[in-house]
Amino acid sequence: MKITNLSVRFPNIEMKFTDYEFQSGVTMITGRNGTGKTTLLRALAGLTDYSGTIINSKTMTYVAQEPVLFNRTVYENIIYSLEIRKLEIDDEKIKYLAEKLSLETLLKRNALKLSGGEKIKVSIIRGIMFNPDILLLDEPTTHMDLESIDELIKVIKELKKEMDIYIISHNKSFIDAVMEHEYSLGDRNV
Amino acid sequence: MNEILEIVLLSLFVSGTATVIAALIGIPSGIFLSISNFAGKKSVKRVIFTLMSLPPVVLGLIVLLIISNEGPLGGLNLLFTAKAIIIAQTLLILPIITGNIITSTEELSVKLIDTVKTLGGKKKDIIKLIMLETKPFIITAIILGFSRAISEVGAVILVGGNIKGSTRVMTGYITLNTSMGNRNESLIMGGILLVIAFIVNSLLERYRYENN
Repeated sequence: MKITNLSVRFPNIEMKFTDYEFQSGVTMITGRNGTGKTTLLRALAGLTDYSGTIINSKTMTYVAQEPVLFNRTVYENIIYSLEIRKLEIDDEKIKYLAEKLSLETLLKRNALKLSGGEKIKVSIIRGIMFNPDILLLDEPTTHMDLESIDELIKVIKELKKEMDIYIISHNKSFIDAVMEHEYSLGDRNV
Repeated sequence: MNEILEIVLLSLFVSGTATVIAALIGIPSGIFLSISNFAGKKSVKRVIFTLMSLPPVVLGLIVLLIISNEGPLGGLNLLFTAKAIIIAQTLLILPIITGNIITSTEELSVKLIDTVKTLGGKKKDIIKLIMLETKPFIITAIILGFSRAISEVGAVILVGGNIKGSTRVMTGYITLNTSMGNRNESLIMGGILLVIAFIVNSLLERYRYENN
């Protein structure tokens, strides 16, 4: 994926992003608060209008910092993308990922009853079920405890063999554990 | 006793019909206004929210002018019929249902749209999911509309005429008997109205409990 002359305009502000070509593997998008990290991810995911060019032919999914889960069980949330895409449900994969992220006992629980960290983990599994080429994660560790962050690091290390992952995070130990490339927005882009 | 039963059944029929018609128009309109962006959307919402607090007697007067013999729909002979009450109640609760759906689903709908898009969903998937996920808000809006319709007095008497055996509904019965000094009859009908409100709200509570 490559971005050129990318900018996103808000009523009182325009965010410009330096040209960048994303590499395979895990790319951390870093920068201070307000430099446009989430705006960039949303533009890449096609959720925000922008000017400039984003060259991409790959499928992707975006996991928001405060993900929206549906009022149904965790399992039904996870298989949602498979249902709408009419793809086969891979229960083995669901079980594997749920165990990796300590969700195996929660699959039958209503997703709205979960904690913030659990919701993000469900949202990540839901996002990758249809095997996208790129996974966009916006501050995934925000509501997670240390054990959950360790679980997520292990999962990301496995997933990066199958897909590229672009992550926003302010958690230094998490960044150090998974970062392979860095796209820094610094504090000069606004 | 037969008269009271007749009045209760007529009240349930006209308010139920008005609620069904208003829901059929108000639900898709409310969801459309929640998820779409177009020039003038804010103005449309402002008009709907203003109409939510339109005094019923003013609405009744407008409907009366339209369906009276001199009005544009005078030829349809709707004045002082149950159909006239249904029209007035529909127009009264349509903005209530639409406005409540907008205020309760707008923020969630925007988030759902983003989520479904990132999972590869199409427009039909978005609409289906929004209908499912906002169902409790939709049911609440419908019940609010029904409660408002069945408790309406001013517009109902203006366009219905409060005619015994034809257009007299519960609120009209209470108004008439109170003005005649028949407080016991008014209290009995008031009690029945309260029981209906209690049953409707109990059903809503049960639904909410089952969905959480």
